[in-house]
Amino acid sequence: MDIKNKEFMLIGGLLVVVAGLMAFFPSLNDSNSTVDWISIPLVGFPIVISVILLAFASQETRSRKDIIAVPIRLFTLCASLIPLAISTALFFDWLILVDWNLAYNDYALEKEYLWIESIGVSWHVGLDGLSFPMVWLTTFLVPVTIIATWNEKDGATYYPLLLMMGGALIGVFVALDLFLFYIFWELTLIPMFFLILKWGGKDRRYAAQKFFIYTFCASVIMLLGLITLYFLQPEGSGSQYGTVTGRTFDMTVLFSNATAFNMGDNVFLGKDMQNVLFAMLMLGFLVKLPAVPFHTWLPDAHVQAPTGGSMLLAGVMLKMGAYGMLRIPIAIFPDALLYYQDVIMAIGLISLVWGAVVCLGQTNLKKMVAYSSVSHMGVILLGIASMQPIGYAAALFMMFAHGIISPMLFAVCGAFKHHYHSMEIGSMRGMARWSPYLSVYMMFAWMASLGLPLLAGFVAELMVLLAYWPTYGWWILLPGFVLAITAAYYLWSMQRTIFEGGDEGQPPESLNGETPPDITLSENIGMLILAIFTVIFGVFPFIALGMMDQWAVALFEGVFNGGI
Amino acid sequence: MNTEVFSTEFWRAFAPEMVLVVGLIAVFILPNLGNSKFRIPLTKVQVPWFFGGRRFKLTGSPALPGMLGTATLFVAVGMMVIEVIDGKMETTTVTSGDIVLLQIDAFSRFFEIIFLAAILLASMASLDRVPAHTFEGKKTLEEMYDNRRQADLYILMLTTALGMCMVALAQDLFVLFVGLELASLATYVLVAFHKESKAGAEAGVKYFIVGSVASGVGLYGLSLLYLEFGSLQLSTLSASWSDGSILATIALGLVLVGFGFKVSAAPFHFAAPDAYAGANSPVAGILATASKAMGMIGLIRVLLVVALPDTQTDGSAVWLYALATLSVVTMTWGNLAALGSTNPKRMLAYSSVAHAGYMMAALTAVGAWHWGHVEAPADYAEAIVAAILFHLFVLVAFKLGAFLVLGLLEMEGGASRLSALSGLARRDPLIGTAMFIFMLALAGVPPLAGFMSKFLIVAAIVSASIGDQWMGGSISFSDLHWIWWLALAMFLNSAISVFYYLRIGVIMFLEVPEEGRRKPLPYGASIRMAIWICLVATVVLGLSSDTLIEMCYRAAESLNLA
Repeated sequence: MDIKNKEFMLIGGLLVVVAGLMAFFPSLNDSNSTVDWISIPLVGFPIVISVILLAFASQETRSRKDIIAVPIRLFTLCASLIPLAISTALFFDWLILVDWNLAYNDYALEKEYLWIESIGVSWHVGLDGLSFPMVWLTTFLVPVTIIATWNEKDGATYYPLLLMMGGALIGVFVALDLFLFYIFWELTLIPMFFLILKWGGKDRRYAAQKFFIYTFCASVIMLLGLITLYFLQPEGSGSQYGTVTGRTFDMTVLFSNATAFNMGDNVFLGKDMQNVLFAMLMLGFLVKLPAVPFHTWLPDAHVQAPTGGSMLLAGVMLKMGAYGMLRIPIAIFPDALLYYQDVIMAIGLISLVWGAVVCLGQTNLKKMVAYSSVSHMGVILLGIASMQPIGYAAALFMMFAHGIISPMLFAVCGAFKHHYHSMEIGSMRGMARWSPYLSVYMMFAWMASLGLPLLAGFVAELMVLLAYWPTYGWWILLPGFVLAITAAYYLWSMQRTIFEGGDEGQPPESLNGETPPDITLSENIGMLILAIFTVIFGVFPFIALGMMDQWAVALFEGVFNGGI
Repeated sequence: MNTEVFSTEFWRAFAPEMVLVVGLIAVFILPNLGNSKFRIPLTKVQVPWFFGGRRFKLTGSPALPGMLGTATLFVAVGMMVIEVIDGKMETTTVTSGDIVLLQIDAFSRFFEIIFLAAILLASMASLDRVPAHTFEGKKTLEEMYDNRRQADLYILMLTTALGMCMVALAQDLFVLFVGLELASLATYVLVAFHKESKAGAEAGVKYFIVGSVASGVGLYGLSLLYLEFGSLQLSTLSASWSDGSILATIALGLVLVGFGFKVSAAPFHFAAPDAYAGANSPVAGILATASKAMGMIGLIRVLLVVALPDTQTDGSAVWLYALATLSVVTMTWGNLAALGSTNPKRMLAYSSVAHAGYMMAALTAVGAWHWGHVEAPADYAEAIVAAILFHLFVLVAFKLGAFLVLGLLEMEGGASRLSALSGLARRDPLIGTAMFIFMLALAGVPPLAGFMSKFLIVAAIVSASIGDQWMGGSISFSDLHWIWWLALAMFLNSAISVFYYLRIGVIMFLEVPEEGRRKPLPYGASIRMAIWICLVATVVLGLSSDTLIEMCYRAAESLNLA
């Protein structure tokens, strides 16, 4: 290690210490001065640190950038482990005793700081049974992604962008103020745009722009819906309310007002307005999910994105749409949700079927996995449409399980591309001969994705089907059958690439006759971690399901006041 | 407080503008101080009269006009900011006899700050864009041109500033027109400043001719108003306005043409892209921000102060449908034309046209009001005007900033093709990131100032479309006033515009710099400082916009609508 690296290690170490202190710094404005575990350690720290690192790294010359990439990579990994440690500790009550037994519209570790007083926006964050699994998932995926893509080129700017992505994503999940929610929702677009643009494949320009513009268009319509909703609130006075407009963007206030109004036979804002606003908000969520027919940005974005980008995109970013759907519509527009129940079910079913059928026709491995993502997201819509507590818990668990499995799928694709220089399914046979580890992980990931029992995906799919029956009866056969089709494409692609090829096997053309290598140690460790957690949540799903079930039951009790 | 023109209170109240005047005179006189002597006739006595002759070393330096002009603008804007910042501003009215000429209140001071800030940043950039070469020794022709024209440039900028201030302060439409023309004539010459280049000369002449025609039409409209009402005082006009008068409506339309040109509304915007592309970037920045704000004042005064119906009546404003159509056409035209543009300055010009469309949509929302039906119509109108003011203010930060980055590129050889921006992020990461942030702010991406301003405008329009109709009960979607669809149009246009803003980012980050631009960007301390100020303002006003929102609301309140 030369002198310069030692400097960086020292500065990096100091920054870690400072960051650690920041993570434990007590909150400033709060009257009972409990430590704010969310704003700085989970959200502020990753974003600020990554911006500082990016400013630092972008000034360096080409050759220096390669030198400083090494300490930056290590530092970013350590920095991403801090939020993971904190969120795990919060779950197990090691740091602070958190009562996760929350009622409807009640949040743990809630903190509120006034921000834009004139319009009633505050930095209001909190966790509950819906957001905490997602937050933990994000804090878990960022270090795993860094490990799995340990050898990415131009690392000095790549790893800080992954960290920034993680911070922005956590911000979406913890936000309890609609304005704040929207800001983080859009903020996630920027690091992903850069990840696809700089480290992407051949058509990255097109894919990055399509991704940004498509989701931005849907988001502004969602924003218009949120603004209209904001002005259809009763005026109030209090610290949360705007001094000029008299209204607030606070989600908790909005939910309690709406729920109180919806008691009896009343419909908050009237049926007509509810349906329109619901459609506008859902447009933003459906495009992000993505649901057919708004899914066309996803295959391009995934195929062109680098491995790390794909892992975070599929693992967490798609769940933002589902999170929005689970959080907002049922609390404010339960009548509109019931009105559109069949439509949502239809969209979910179409996504499921379309994704699966298109998968069968794919020859590009990553595109196939992308369409399988579309298919699985359709399952989430089925859970939501069932309007049962178990359906909501199922949708949430599907988000969680898919969030662990699909990064593994994309890590396998990435390793494939990295070592075989090709992503065509048909280009090789008998990979098991040269890359036993890659083959094992590929088999494992494929089995997890198609829903093999004892792995996390199975629990999610089973729960969704269980929720489906009370609402839709024998229609359950349709998704059940399609889920069987999904097995077909996985098994077909697996059989060809891993096992066929006779004694010699057939390496792809793109290798030019070299001996195909196996995966590197870092890729191995990354995939192993994901595999272990897939098994853990497959065999012991109650670790996560406890919180999710409790949240779903409390939600339905609170919204419908007495349960279904 | 009422003062008579040219009384002592007058001088005290107008101290910032007097600073501008003194600075202007100084830039005229100081560079011309020399050792010339004047011989008294019929005698041999030579009296030194310092105007002319061999210029003194100190005051004859070509760098002096620039420093003086920038310092004057800085002092003037500083004085105004100090006056406005704490919120307790007293209104000063200046009369001559019983005609109210000018009025200093929060609204006019706010606009003056916008104008002076924009011109200040542009003049800081001009210190580098049209530099004064103070080294001894042989200079090339271009360098000699630059030195000779220093005084001209800063005189023109200060004149523009004075004219714009007069527009902001005016309470009589004729005084407003005089100020408008003063500023416009100076800007016509500024656009043609680099007369030796074909683009500059052509742009200047085009802008001059079209601008003069538009001003002529506007003046004709004003004369018809005078014919109808007997006075051009804003208070008299607004008191005696009646929607039934045909002459007044025609006059209003003609005046709209005049101000519409200034704001670059379609279909009066055709000269704008050529003018912005032909002028040098700091001047184009002034056109895009300060000149637009000037036109917007005119529109606000005429449409909102004069031509709104009485609070007791129940109609909407007579100009409602015309303005709504114009605003939608403007937004869409601007965005679609920018999509096809390959010249970054033309693209920014069309984006200016689109932003003018957004602001006109906000103005339409004020006119939609059924004044008789609403309890406190002034509240909705104030919210909308405050949002427009916020937008005009932050436009200075990111639109002028974008033009200044193009100015930096012009300094090394031109910014008339998109390929000039290729690889900018690699050549100079800070400037490249700054440009990208300006583009994101123009597109309306959170958490920047551009998002905040678009959000406030849409929020104001939506609030006006709902009005008082929802009082805790239920409301149907069809109960919303049709101006709600203007908000949707605005957001959809915003989404369209993301494409060309992102395209700049992609070019900067992905492409290889073109031939002849492989070296780092020119140094230019002053222009870089101006870009930094714009960047910091864009980010800070996005994250912590409360102070500015309060200022805008106070300014809107002092307008006393309804």
